[in-house]
Amino acid sequence: MEETVMESESVDLAGSTSHHQVAEAWENVTTALVSPGCLMTEQSLSESLTLLSDQGLDRLLGSWLLETLQMRLSSCVVPEFWSGLKQPENELDERGRAWVLLTAFRTLLGQLEPFLCGLEMLGRWQDEGRGSLCGAGSKGLQERAFTIIRALLLFSPSPVLQERVLEFYSRTFTVYMNQEGEAEDVAEVSEGPEGGGFCRGCGIPTHQCWCQEALKQLQELSHILSRLQLLEWVSSESVTSILHKLIEQRMEQHCRGEYERSFLLEFQEWLELVLGWLSKVFASEAEKDGPTLTPGAPGAQAGPPASSVLKQWRCHMHQFFCRIYVNMRIEELFSIIRDFPESKAAIEDLKFCLERTNQRQQLLTSLKSAFESRLLHPGVHTSDILTVYISAIKALRELDPSMVILQVACQPIRKYLRTREDTVRQIVAGLTGDAEGCTDLASELSRGDPVTLEMQDSDEEGNDPKDWTPDPTDAVPDKMGSKRRSSDIISLLVSIYGSKGIFIDEYRAVLADRLLHQLNYNTAREIRNVELLKLRFGESHMHYCEVMLKDMADSRRINSNIREEESRLSEEEQPPLSLSAIILSSEFWPPLKEDKLELPPIICQSMEAYTHRYEKLKAMRTLSWKPHLGSVTLDVELEDRTLTNLTVSPIHAAIILHFQDKSSWTLEELSTKLGAPKELVHRKLALWQQHGVLREEAGGRYYVVETGSSKEKMERGVMLIDSDEERDSNTTTQSEQREEKLQLFWAYIQAMLTNLDSMTLDRIHSMLRMFVATGPVVTEMDINELEAFLQRKVMEHQLLASSGVYRLPKST
Amino acid sequence: MASQNMDPAAAAASSTAALKGSESGSSAARGSVTKRLQQELMTLMMSGDKGISAFPESDNLFKWVGTIEGPQGTVYDGLRYRLSLEFPAGYPYQAPRVKFVTSCFHPNVDENGFICLDILKDKWSALYDVRSILLSIQSLLGEPNNESPLNTAAAELWEDQEAYKALLHSNFQK
Repeated sequence: MEETVMESESVDLAGSTSHHQVAEAWENVTTALVSPGCLMTEQSLSESLTLLSDQGLDRLLGSWLLETLQMRLSSCVVPEFWSGLKQPENELDERGRAWVLLTAFRTLLGQLEPFLCGLEMLGRWQDEGRGSLCGAGSKGLQERAFTIIRALLLFSPSPVLQERVLEFYSRTFTVYMNQEGEAEDVAEVSEGPEGGGFCRGCGIPTHQCWCQEALKQLQELSHILSRLQLLEWVSSESVTSILHKLIEQRMEQHCRGEYERSFLLEFQEWLELVLGWLSKVFASEAEKDGPTLTPGAPGAQAGPPASSVLKQWRCHMHQFFCRIYVNMRIEELFSIIRDFPESKAAIEDLKFCLERTNQRQQLLTSLKSAFESRLLHPGVHTSDILTVYISAIKALRELDPSMVILQVACQPIRKYLRTREDTVRQIVAGLTGDAEGCTDLASELSRGDPVTLEMQDSDEEGNDPKDWTPDPTDAVPDKMGSKRRSSDIISLLVSIYGSKGIFIDEYRAVLADRLLHQLNYNTAREIRNVELLKLRFGESHMHYCEVMLKDMADSRRINSNIREEESRLSEEEQPPLSLSAIILSSEFWPPLKEDKLELPPIICQSMEAYTHRYEKLKAMRTLSWKPHLGSVTLDVELEDRTLTNLTVSPIHAAIILHFQDKSSWTLEELSTKLGAPKELVHRKLALWQQHGVLREEAGGRYYVVETGSSKEKMERGVMLIDSDEERDSNTTTQSEQREEKLQLFWAYIQAMLTNLDSMTLDRIHSMLRMFVATGPVVTEMDINELEAFLQRKVMEHQLLASSGVYRLPKST
Repeated sequence: MASQNMDPAAAAASSTAALKGSESGSSAARGSVTKRLQQELMTLMMSGDKGISAFPESDNLFKWVGTIEGPQGTVYDGLRYRLSLEFPAGYPYQAPRVKFVTSCFHPNVDENGFICLDILKDKWSALYDVRSILLSIQSLLGEPNNESPLNTAAAELWEDQEAYKALLHSNFQK
């Protein structure tokens, strides 16, 4: 700058015009530029300009003006602005603060206005080329001026400005929304604006309402800011944070915990409203970008929403909305899943928004940890875990059709379920509709068009290659590939264990239990279930179950046959008690519990008679009785009362029958007579004590209570005897079966090591695979399972392992 | 099966397949023999008899290795004998070929391990099985049939149990 001046002075001296004249012309022009109000004729101004440009000084005008602006700004305008803004700290109410803010900007504009006018004038001159004036032109000059203003003003902005602006904008926003959204809000809040005596726009008593004033102030402030081209710099941050806050607030109020309604449209409408307010904030900006460029035209309507600034803000807002919504829903996803399908609307909203944000990873992490902390701990019942898992499958396949989220997020559940012992039983119970509150599986099973489980193992997938879509990037790369990512609930559940055999076995156990407990040969429901399961698991796997059902039908037939035969006998030959039997083909039924029980002779005789008749009916076959299974209906006749139609287990009946011959027994006597352990007999006696038929006296003797007084009955009612009403399962449990299987495998392993000395793990495994006849009970052993088992045997010193070879320890 | 670089599990699977193939493929009779042998193996495993044991030598179900421990209270107490059992295709209608692999000093066993036992010859019946054979051989150890000895030296020495035992144990080699 300095140099230029020096140079121009030398030009000065060379000129013919006198110093005085030049100085006067300079004075004239600069005064005209800085104080546009001064009275100076166009004529003299033109002359002065021509003189200056003759002298080559015209180029300096722009620089001079900017220099002056800068000087003025840094010396007084900027400090004044800040001190004006800060001055009445803490002493004013909101309204006052808004006024101070506006005034500060008004003053600022007032002080800068002359310069701006000057700049404009100079620019105009330059554009017109008046007096052969040349320079950067109005655009360039203005740009430079505004840059200087911004730089000096906002070089070290005090937080006060942001605070005030934020406050003011928030207020005007409420006011605006209150006015615009009146119809909607009145319906929501019963008490209107007058109700509480407070204006809901500005939050102060109605009579002091300054809503209109605030809106006017907003308009003015927007104009000032846009005039100074400060709008974007001053407002953007506040507007952004206001929008964030408001969207968040609204979402908290309206959407949190509410999953049954879609909020997309509602928010869409609301955001349009907000956009109306934005158009007020950026009113002047919008105008400028509008098709007609009319700077400074007062009272202009808000530009069309198509204007680029508003468009940009609308995009921003949508982005905010999606992000905030996704954040909230991710937080709540566990509850949403739990409530599915009631929460379908929320899932759909989330799907829409999630596609627009980059938060899948966040969702996965959060959901996984939610599962872990809320579901997968010992306090949660297995059936509840399954229910949530099923909901998750339904919800997540809705959310992400590629099933990747489902697969990844539910991995912990599957892993955890594998560690629960009753998982299989629960799933099977669900499938057969036995589980309370978990009807999903049963209905899923009876759904039409079932996915056959075999189908999924095959490579043939009927899909059109054109329909192929790549996996999302967060998919777990596994060899199964996307086609294995099934969304079928039953196949997902069955695949928890990787084999369906275990489910079929469990189902068989459940089926056996049900058939053996109801004792009425009624199999309609079971037949239906088996047929449905056949569709899923294939005919061959359900073969055993079919035989079991056939056994029931056969039993019914044989039974009625034998009964008929009996009824034809003469009175004396009639068996002492009527016996019905269920005849099982033992090969096909799961192993039944073996309890020893010696029945009284009279019953044994009946059984023999029955067997005899059966043998006649079915040559080459006989019956082997399971005396402890079944039920007995009996009447107990005592001296003063009769208990009729009691249905009890065989052991109960056997006990009471023994009291028919002898009215007092000790526990030991009964135990030997029945061939059952004492504890068991003791437990079973409790039932008769409860019925008041027997009582225990000192010395562990039990007596029949022939005459019962009402007093005793009272005592009985109070007496707490641990009744054995637990429904014992007739079939062996899974773990018992597993133990049995291991025992069998151990026998084989011992034999092979005895004869073949030492073997590797692989060899043992392949030998077992070859020679152990696998059946319904004995399923193949996985090599890892085998290794663990052998390791256990090594720990127990029943086996030696060295360098990968197993051998038996030398027998002593 | 031909390849060396096979995963053993897969190899086992294929050999199982081969086995099963032979069952169904060659003849129905052979299939039923396999089934019978498998059943016998199962019976033997489940019986839990002390001192007798047997297992297929490799993936061939028709060749087994057996182990017999000398019965308690006899001179053979504490000795273990390895046997080989080979099942003919006509099993169980033909007797299996059973011989001692461990050399056995016994009146009814020759130097090649052949056993003179009636149920393995003319008295064979399809009702016998591996378990009964092994039990018979085990009891034969303690109760030799000295009427028709294969090893006359042993038969003669049998009367003197002390000397017999001494000789038996000094010559025993596993």
